[in-house]
Amino acid sequence: MANYNYRGITLSIPENDSEYKGYFEAAGEGRLVVKKCADCGLLRGEPGPACPWCTSINWEWQQVSGKGTIYSYQVVAHTVIPSFRDLTPFAIVLVELDEQRGQPDEFDGLRITGNLVDADFNMEKEENVGIGKRVEAVFQPVEEGFMLPQWKLIDEPDQGFTWSHEVPEG
Amino acid sequence: MAGNPRDKYCIVGVGETEYSRASGRTTRALGAEAIRNAMNDAGLTPDDVDGMLSYHGGDSTPSTSIQYDLGIRPNFYMDCSGGGSSTEALVGLAIGAIEAGMCDVVAIFRSMNGYSSVRIGGTGARASAPIGGLDLMKRPYGLISAVQQFSYTFTRHMAEYGVKSEDLAAIKVAHSNHASNNPKALMKHRVTVDDVMNSRWIIRPVAHLLDCCLETDNATCVIVTSAERAKDLKHKPIYVKGVQGRGTKPGGDFHYQHGPITRVAGHYVGPRVFDLAGVKHEDVDITGCYDAFTYTVLLQFEDYGWCEKGEGKDYVTSGIINLGGKRPNNLSGGHLCEGYTHGMNMVIENVRQLRGTVDDYCPGALEGDHTYDYAEGGCRQVKDAKISMNMGWGTPAVGSSLIMGNVLS
Repeated sequence: MANYNYRGITLSIPENDSEYKGYFEAAGEGRLVVKKCADCGLLRGEPGPACPWCTSINWEWQQVSGKGTIYSYQVVAHTVIPSFRDLTPFAIVLVELDEQRGQPDEFDGLRITGNLVDADFNMEKEENVGIGKRVEAVFQPVEEGFMLPQWKLIDEPDQGFTWSHEVPEG
Repeated sequence: MAGNPRDKYCIVGVGETEYSRASGRTTRALGAEAIRNAMNDAGLTPDDVDGMLSYHGGDSTPSTSIQYDLGIRPNFYMDCSGGGSSTEALVGLAIGAIEAGMCDVVAIFRSMNGYSSVRIGGTGARASAPIGGLDLMKRPYGLISAVQQFSYTFTRHMAEYGVKSEDLAAIKVAHSNHASNNPKALMKHRVTVDDVMNSRWIIRPVAHLLDCCLETDNATCVIVTSAERAKDLKHKPIYVKGVQGRGTKPGGDFHYQHGPITRVAGHYVGPRVFDLAGVKHEDVDITGCYDAFTYTVLLQFEDYGWCEKGEGKDYVTSGIINLGGKRPNNLSGGHLCEGYTHGMNMVIENVRQLRGTVDDYCPGALEGDHTYDYAEGGCRQVKDAKISMNMGWGTPAVGSSLIMGNVLS
């Protein structure tokens, strides 16, 4: 069992966590990984124990490019988590990875949650958040051996459907 | 589909406690009171009730405690894990238990100190508790509350279909108008679109404070039995025409990995429940559409087919859902205004509407003597409502539905 502390919250990753332990081990080395089915070869965005398309329980971790596009998002103006209050407003983004977009079905994709942060891991400004913006994974140091995958805007043209909300003044 | 229970089972009793933010009692005490009220409403004694079903999120009291308090001896009980969309699903399970010969009369209850004890939003100490498993992918990013869990769906829908905050506010306005004629409602005052727009932001761009439901201490109960058993009870029986639950989208908890992300479970639940009930949309007089947030209402209206996809904003601003409109929604004020019950109060309201004895401010309300004057502080009884439809929401991926009627098909 490994416990890490982030913003006053204990993140508990036991040895038998067959879903998320490998994901965070790779993140601790600065690598973003997803599970790949060892039989049909499809990747899955949620690191579950079986392949949603062929039911195979054989899998391996596969490193991905870490680049993707914001698919949807939310800006937290009010948080119920006391240790996040000094961060508001901050953005949480659902990023669609470049790998396997629209496969095997039209609306399928590998989608991962994170905060939108700047180069110093501060929360990105609200006016810079939007659907269609290009991002890449960055790894925020938390404790020795533990880094949190986050997302940073990159200098590439928006991709696909684009939209952003009107940011209120003040 | 194998069995069709249309008209064979009824809801014969409904009851609840006060809706408050400080019950000052346990969920055991609240649950006992709600079940007692429902038994009295039906004209049933504890000896008549031999089935109990409840749903909870680790925040309630089990049937086996409350059975003692009320002197009920169940031949069947289950306490199920679940929140929104459980009510309708458990009506179906009650019918199944009766059909299987396990029991004859089932009390379904939900009891919660949803404000004074375990807040649904996860506020405060719960938010800082140790986490593992799938929460590791969300909590470290500040993603915890229900509106946050749903917001990827809301935001993407808003973006693709041009929904405005004003459109969502119209839902709160309608429900607040209904609540103003409900003496039980926790938030009785009527609000305007501006009131909603000027309330503080919770999650941009999809929810101001007044787009979010209340948090409430309460217990609620509905009693299900066969149409045969219902004949000699106190009220006109309210027949179950069709029930479905908890139907899900592909991907369940991880539905956003598939899509379309803007589609909700009603897309799958709707055709099945209409088919079972043998009714069409235009046959339905009143709806109960789960309003955890204004956006859950808009999405369900679209995916249950009350309008085309993308036209939910027009449906909710058309006046159709308002008292006096063609098909009013959440006539008690729902979760946004009456109280947060995880769905049961909207079923209770529709039972009372179909009986014609809604507890509004009309002096003869409980005898069915209504003024049909829908001004503030007046009547909320819909004239001659015959068919109702409830649409329960668990998440974008999970939904249930119940169609009821006051006459045989």
